Amino acid sequence: MMVPILHAAAQVIMVLAYGCLAVVVFRNAISVAQLMLASYVFATRVKPSSFSLDLWNRYSDLALPVSVIAPAYNEELSIVESVRALLALEYPEHEVIVVNDGSSDGTINALIDGFDCVPTDRTQIAVLQHTRIRAIFRSRKHPNLFVIDKDNGRKADAVNAGIGFARTPLVCVIDADSIIETDGLLRAAEPFMHDTGKMVAVGGAIRIANGCEIRAGSLRKIGVTKAWLPRFQIVEYLRAFLTARVANAEGNTLLLISGAFGMFRRAILLEIGGYRHDTVGEDLELIVRIHRFMRDNKREYAIGFVPEIVCWTEAPTTWAGLRNQRARWQQGALETLIRHRSMIFNPRYGRIGMFSMFQLVVEDVIGPPAELIGYLVVPAALLLGVMDPVIAVVFLCLTVLFGTGLSIGTLVLEEIQLSRTPTARDLVRIGVAAFVENFGYRQANLMFRLSGIRRHFRKDNSWAAVPRTGFSPMA
Amino acid sequence: MSIYSGLIWFCIWSTVGLSAAFALLIVRRWITQKRAPLKKARQVAITRSYLQRVGGFNHQNGGAGWPTGERLLAIGHLLLLLRGAERDRLIQLAEIDGLLVEVLRKCNAWRAARRIDAIRSLQQFGGDAAIAALRDVLRTDRHRIVRFNAAFALASFGRLPPPRETIELIGMPSRTPTRLDVAMMRAMAPDYADHLVRMLGDAMPHARRAAIVDALGWSGDHTVLPALLRASTSNDVESRCAALRAAAKLGHPAAGPWVQAALGDSNANVRIQAVNSCAALRLVDAVPVLRQMCGDPELWVRLRSEEALAQLDPITTGFAGTFSDPASPGLRSAI
Repeated sequence: MMVPILHAAAQVIMVLAYGCLAVVVFRNAISVAQLMLASYVFATRVKPSSFSLDLWNRYSDLALPVSVIAPAYNEELSIVESVRALLALEYPEHEVIVVNDGSSDGTINALIDGFDCVPTDRTQIAVLQHTRIRAIFRSRKHPNLFVIDKDNGRKADAVNAGIGFARTPLVCVIDADSIIETDGLLRAAEPFMHDTGKMVAVGGAIRIANGCEIRAGSLRKIGVTKAWLPRFQIVEYLRAFLTARVANAEGNTLLLISGAFGMFRRAILLEIGGYRHDTVGEDLELIVRIHRFMRDNKREYAIGFVPEIVCWTEAPTTWAGLRNQRARWQQGALETLIRHRSMIFNPRYGRIGMFSMFQLVVEDVIGPPAELIGYLVVPAALLLGVMDPVIAVVFLCLTVLFGTGLSIGTLVLEEIQLSRTPTARDLVRIGVAAFVENFGYRQANLMFRLSGIRRHFRKDNSWAAVPRTGFSPMA
Repeated sequence: MSIYSGLIWFCIWSTVGLSAAFALLIVRRWITQKRAPLKKARQVAITRSYLQRVGGFNHQNGGAGWPTGERLLAIGHLLLLLRGAERDRLIQLAEIDGLLVEVLRKCNAWRAARRIDAIRSLQQFGGDAAIAALRDVLRTDRHRIVRFNAAFALASFGRLPPPRETIELIGMPSRTPTRLDVAMMRAMAPDYADHLVRMLGDAMPHARRAAIVDALGWSGDHTVLPALLRASTSNDVESRCAALRAAAKLGHPAAGPWVQAALGDSNANVRIQAVNSCAALRLVDAVPVLRQMCGDPELWVRLRSEEALAQLDPITTGFAGTFSDPASPGLRSAI
């Protein structure tokens, strides 16, 4: 009696193991394809130069004006410096709209005092927010600075309020604590200059600011932190922004423009009703909705990506902060997938439906449980003696070794094409992190993602804050 | 070899290969760092040498082994600083030293990106050899974006071929004009305003006609005003808008009557552009009409009229406790 049960258990274990192996092979194949496509894009692209700057300086009114929308919540200590840096961005015509999202500290007073703001009667063109606007201010020192004071409604609501007040063809949505490169707006707006009206959104590469020298809201010196946790995230960001997004944008299958920096045609955001308020992954949901809207309406469109760094952001430095962030990302991905499930494998949505959404399913629905099952099943199968040790070695090679190889491949790409890592020592630091992340960090990340799945099924939509340590010189 | 062992060896060798490449890059970076002070000193020496030669001094040439790339870098920096005869002399010296040979060779590189790099270098230099090479690229390169960059480089020297030829060479007839095409047309306008006016008599798509009308505003030549007046009564909305934009850019008061007449246009986009142009031309006579337009059924017409009034009628609006919202001219012209 026991033998058939054991036999059946062994069969189940092996089926699970092979299933996990198939998922790993699929994910690695996608990563290899992305790395190769990104390498091709980098090798054949026209490198940026002062050419575009010269051109735009000469024909400044051809560069589409931009409204930079910066939602702020309880940022009393840093908001004035952050906004000064936004006002100082190199761009022919830009206005800054800071939306104080019902801060409980002195953020609004800091803005009013810091920029000599007075009430203004600016008309709200579209009401996309769900909360009450308390007041609108305009700076007397900087006529291109507007401050919207509103009740608290989270980031999506704050950005929607800002979009409603924007009057420019382009809007750039950022986090108030993001550090934008001085020419970041110019770089991000460049695809719109070559465009005949199809480009609806552009994302840009984002890097980790931990370890960099930040003064007065501006990046003074690039550095790489010695702390392990942000270093692991540097590797992750490089993989995401230099390979996955570059490759996806090349095939017009980009599904995510980070909430820390994204440039959009204002008209399209108004048409689709702005960001959704009922999701914690509003940036992913927005782009998927844009794809859906444009394809439903049979309109030609493009979503671009600029591989140059446009923005620096602070990464969580504690495990608790990382858990909150990653769980939120996972939950947001599930919410988006469920909301737009009819797109999956739907030929009406072209390569988005047939490929990108499926890839999202593998990455965010099947991927985390498959990885967990792999960690449990492979040792169990080895112990039970039902798995050939060679297959276990294949597992190890495909996950740890090949995963490290892909990360190193991304570092090679970065060093050849962008070379923004400051020193050889920093390169070594990041390279070591690419290897060490396989032992502990990756598994912890998996647990955080699983907790995000649990939060989703418990319908827990509370916003778990990511603690920030803030920027200090050579933090 | 089974599929499993094949997979294992593939993982091992690909990771080892990439790691070796990364290690080499780290070593390269380390060497570059170590040599940085030396390179900096050499740059100073090269710069000093060229400055002395530009000044007419015979520099003891100890730099026969200076790399071409570093020489070009130093000259590139000096070109930003020098003007007039000194600049011309520096370009001559670069040609005498054979520095442009390498750049000219890159104009025939296989990869378009490298050819564009070469064009940018030539744009930095100028001089007869560079302009001849750029014209050659504009006429013969197989890649449109390369030709486009060559055209921009020539535009920066004011040496573009006539508009019909340029438009053909950058492939404008076969596609919808982009904002860069508009920039190109504007770059041609100061030298070829009469050509552009004549071209308006040709049959062409509305978008290209609008781009040409728009460019006339950048000609600085007031004799184009009759052509703009004709465009302002065109059936095409884009051409009417372009005429109003061009009139605002030219800033000639003779355009006032027809710009004001456009405030009553049936198309909202034209009315918006007319409002913007009234503000740009400081047409205070238009204030009563603009006040009426604050009640226009179109939101954007109302908004732009309010902004124009804030500029033209500072007595009734302006900074006073609460203040209205005059957007900057660029923001205004965006819609």
